[in-house]
Amino acid sequence: MADSKIIKSKYFFEEDFTEELAEVSANKYADWNKKELKVVGKPVSRVDGYDKVSGSAVFTFDVILPNMAHAKTLRCPHPHAKIKRINTKKAEKIPGVLGILTYENAPKISWYGKSFLFDPHLRYEGDEVAFVAAENERIAEQALKLIEVDYEILPFVTDAAEAMKKDAPKLYDDGNIRGGKPSVYERGDIDKGFEEASAVAEQTYKTQVEIHNPTEPHCSVVNWDGDYLTIWDSTQGVFSVRDRVADVLKLPASRVRVIKKYMGGAFGAKLEAGKYTVMAALLARKIGRPVRIALDRREMNLSVGNRPDSVQKLKGGATKDGRLTALYQYSYGAAGAHPAGAGCSWALRTMYLCPNVKTEEYTVYINAGRARPFRAPGHVQGFFALEALIDELAEKIGMDPLEFRIKNHTDRDQVFDAPYTSKLLLDAYRVAAEAIGWKNRPQPAGSDAGPLKRGIGMSSQIWWGGGGPPAYATLKLNRDGSVRIIAGSQDIGTGTYTILAQVASEVLEIPMEKVEVLLGDTAVAPYCGSSGGSTTAPSVSPAVRDAAEQMKAKLLSGAAAHLNVSESQLVYRNGVIHTKGKNKKSMTIREIARKMGERVLVTTGKREANPDGYAINSFGVQFAEVEVDTETGKVSVKKIVAAYDIGRVLNPKTLENQIHGGIIQGLGFALFEERIIDRNTGKVLTTNLHDYKLPTVKDTPQIDIRIVSKGDSKISNTGVKGVGEPAMIPTPAAIGNAVYNAIGKRIKSLPITPDKVLTALQS
Amino acid sequence: MKKINIRFKVNGRQADLNIAPNKRLLDVLRDDLGLTGTKEGCDIGECGACTVVLNGRAVHSCLILAAQANGAEIITVEGLTQNGELHPLQKNFLEHGAVQCGFCIPGMLLSSYALLKENPHPREDDIKEAIAGNLCRCTGYKQIIQAVEAAANENNE
Amino acid sequence: MRYFDYIQPENIKQASESAGRDWRKALLYAGGTDLLGLIKNEVESPAALINLKAIPGLNGIEYSEREGLTIGALVKLSQLSAHEVVREKYSVLEQALKETASPQLRNMGTIGGNLCQRPRCWYFRGDFHCLRKGGDICYAVDGENKYHCVIGGGPCFIVHPSDPAVALLTLDAGVTIASAKGTKRVALKDFFVLPEDDIYRENILQPGEIVTHIHVPPVSEKTVSGYIKFRERGAWDFAVVSVAATLRINGDTIIDGKAAFGGVAPKPWQEEKINQKLKGLSVKPGNFESLSAEVLKEAEPLNQNAFKLPLVRNLLKRLLVQLTAS
Repeated sequence: MADSKIIKSKYFFEEDFTEELAEVSANKYADWNKKELKVVGKPVSRVDGYDKVSGSAVFTFDVILPNMAHAKTLRCPHPHAKIKRINTKKAEKIPGVLGILTYENAPKISWYGKSFLFDPHLRYEGDEVAFVAAENERIAEQALKLIEVDYEILPFVTDAAEAMKKDAPKLYDDGNIRGGKPSVYERGDIDKGFEEASAVAEQTYKTQVEIHNPTEPHCSVVNWDGDYLTIWDSTQGVFSVRDRVADVLKLPASRVRVIKKYMGGAFGAKLEAGKYTVMAALLARKIGRPVRIALDRREMNLSVGNRPDSVQKLKGGATKDGRLTALYQYSYGAAGAHPAGAGCSWALRTMYLCPNVKTEEYTVYINAGRARPFRAPGHVQGFFALEALIDELAEKIGMDPLEFRIKNHTDRDQVFDAPYTSKLLLDAYRVAAEAIGWKNRPQPAGSDAGPLKRGIGMSSQIWWGGGGPPAYATLKLNRDGSVRIIAGSQDIGTGTYTILAQVASEVLEIPMEKVEVLLGDTAVAPYCGSSGGSTTAPSVSPAVRDAAEQMKAKLLSGAAAHLNVSESQLVYRNGVIHTKGKNKKSMTIREIARKMGERVLVTTGKREANPDGYAINSFGVQFAEVEVDTETGKVSVKKIVAAYDIGRVLNPKTLENQIHGGIIQGLGFALFEERIIDRNTGKVLTTNLHDYKLPTVKDTPQIDIRIVSKGDSKISNTGVKGVGEPAMIPTPAAIGNAVYNAIGKRIKSLPITPDKVLTALQS
Repeated sequence: MKKINIRFKVNGRQADLNIAPNKRLLDVLRDDLGLTGTKEGCDIGECGACTVVLNGRAVHSCLILAAQANGAEIITVEGLTQNGELHPLQKNFLEHGAVQCGFCIPGMLLSSYALLKENPHPREDDIKEAIAGNLCRCTGYKQIIQAVEAAANENNE
Repeated sequence: MRYFDYIQPENIKQASESAGRDWRKALLYAGGTDLLGLIKNEVESPAALINLKAIPGLNGIEYSEREGLTIGALVKLSQLSAHEVVREKYSVLEQALKETASPQLRNMGTIGGNLCQRPRCWYFRGDFHCLRKGGDICYAVDGENKYHCVIGGGPCFIVHPSDPAVALLTLDAGVTIASAKGTKRVALKDFFVLPEDDIYRENILQPGEIVTHIHVPPVSEKTVSGYIKFRERGAWDFAVVSVAATLRINGDTIIDGKAAFGGVAPKPWQEEKINQKLKGLSVKPGNFESLSAEVLKEAEPLNQNAFKLPLVRNLLKRLLVQLTAS
């Protein structure tokens, strides 16, 4: 019981591998048989649903503390400038202004590597200039207007291609290309590969900057009790915020508590500690009052992350019989004003069997808000381009695009040369192709009569999302047999509270009503990683199962002691422990709990190690059916069929939410959403939710979800792969290919807006 | 700056306030009355998170000066629950998985509430139209539509 | 939001005096949906708001066969589109109202306010000291101008954002304008102004003048009308372009007709030439095709918005086909 060891754990999180020492469970449990499961895999309603529909859910945005002050941030109105002089005297004199921070009076805290919390060198419109706390937000806003700043306006560059040129205005002394050179990946020999090809397609695809725009703005409420700092934060990672804040304020981690109960969405934009949180903490200490800072929608669109854009020059070669011989990608993307990942080549490197591959990627600094991970960073962009190229190649060799993909299916990860723990993509292709009516798509492309032309397109998908250690969960059994799970993960709206409760309910065979889950509190919960990378369910649910199984063993042991029998004579069923055979004796959990006392009834579960020598990935495919109005250029997505291998489904209801939500975000990226910067002034034009166009209810297609997988027991005791990101990855690519199928013209840049379609149709 | 007196009913209870004229209804609900169920997402009527029902109609509380609500009857998400019982809309939102992060949900509920008051037998298009001014970034909307349909059916039984 | 006084006049005279006394400092407040956004975006910084709500007589919708519709300026968009007469006789108006903004905004916004709303140009609404805000340049000319005007522009290139205004133009609507001095009635086509005439305003209202009523003449039984709004997403967008038409039809002939266009010009746009050609046009797709090709002949698109021309022409053709189908 409770066997564990410490290992070096490595798995993919968002844009990169994490590697850290982790204590892992060595306990082995029987595979769950889907048919026997009573709670896991069932469409259980959200345990946090009541709070959210009744209005009683307190989001960070709603936290009110006694005597709380309200803060606002003065942001740079120019894309590139230096502060020559700043004067806050007039602002300080406004009644109700409590304190102002600028680079002149704030500690010099390093941020973004080469910059600072307050940096007089302002590298984008929206960069932080001053931070004001006042009695209320209105006063703070007034104060911002009275801060006098003398800016030295510098030349700017807001386009990655321009920024890469030698004479471009420089954001950093060592130039605008991150690391000074491209990131290169190579396998095989692409020259040889292209020689072998009987058809070659070469094309440049572009994707735009997308803004996360979660409905709840980024916000924090901070409070000092002496030297003890409590932060309520709208965050995807309470521990990552704690560590950052403790580091920069030079506080022991034990003196920083970060709490997040409910959060109004994030999609990657809330993975890291915000500058505003640290500024609020500094000012709260200075003025001796709690401080609340909530960004407004304009700030959300300027300053807290985005999906970087991409320009992808792709070249692919294939033989006549449909074998890929070479794939090449040259691409660049804008990280914004500070270091961030803008790569997008994993799609091309991993999706299809291809012996000769080369990618060269540049991450470029420009004078605009910095990128952050955004739901499947790199993949959404990468797949749009790759899947278009695959379709073009298929057309060149006269092969059905689906058949071409099937021909280039691989059961091994080609980058790490390892087999996948499971890959049921071929099944996904089959069921989805049938559901969409693939055979009935217009052939050739553009052959539908119009003016409303129908088209069908597809895209495959791969993502990591296997999660891994470290992830821990503590389980406490109360005296009445009810249970509390405590874990340092967080529910960012995906349903983590619910699925973890289901796992404990399943193992202990007690009703969901008896399980409470506490997440998002660094003071009480054992460590879990940030909620991102589609890793939460696959990382944390096994830890909960481990904790619950340990608890079950403990209860059996307690019952054995009390009943004076050996454990082997006992059976655990429906929360009751029986002796075997005749003259049954039994004890309920409640009775054992009373006897044992709560002091004994605590277990901590750990995520087991990922299997050695395997690659863990999720797979899927989406088929999109669109209708293109050739007289207006408008693309309407009629239907999406999504088929996935994502391991075990813990809860079909929350799964459906995730897939629908991902598809709608993908649809928004494909058709509407785009950060637009004025070319002449370098200022962002799309700073509200009218100009930055999120999809509305009227843009939703019919969605048909097929899950082809069962639990993947090679991964973990729950066999789960994450689905949050996979849900979005193939949507824009499938829509792009469907538009081509409808009109016979390829729109090579996203979003596919009516002006582009009309222009393409007229050419 | 002259403060002004206003008086309106929120969730059936009278509220008398002396406020600055530049306060929005949203500010008064959240800050003065502590009704934080009503959310703020964009500040200029583009997201619908702040939707409340005012004199029977769904409106953006971020675009109404509190003074304009003088004499009005207002319902917020907190007013949908009666005697501890969830409103059929709330119950169905919960059961149909219409909720993910939940931040847009109060607004969605109030837009739907206003719809069902006016049109107890909405078609799917009516529902879509009623919540067209409410943005959701998580769910993809389908379960929300289903929840409203189910609540309408329940009401009509 | 900065502080302002809240003035509550009891009649038009008081309202007009308050507004006229302090030009640009005191602003009229009807539904508030546009005004509060303008204040938030710091396009307007009024010292006072004049609440029109308590003024009697601005909330009614009246209809007579002789006078047609008389609509109080404070009638909400949703109230107007639900009105029986509007639904029965003025489809073009009903459709335009229903296509405006979102349900919440239609429940708050007034018809008077809708006609008087400020443009949605992202430079005007954004942090740019543009021509219309008293600055020196129009940023759209060489900037991001996909949504800007293709005709009637210069030196500023906004489009007028109202949907109902486009519909009302085809109905020969007029407005009553009141001030402390008295009232006057103006045809809607003369109500809006182009930037070349006045860069700071979108209509003829002088300080202290208030739109009190909108008048829509009666339509004959043989009239059909409709509105197509084209937007990029399914809801809550201002028109990329829109087309309205009101036609009187006898058999296979359009006896009389008017078309108007939104999203193409700094004011709701009409072309006399097109309306003349509609007169006596026989109902044939070919005719609609050639007529539509004549629309916006004088257009001078900016570098990103030439797509509006085929778009508006295709939509006019589509609307004419739809309206004459039965």
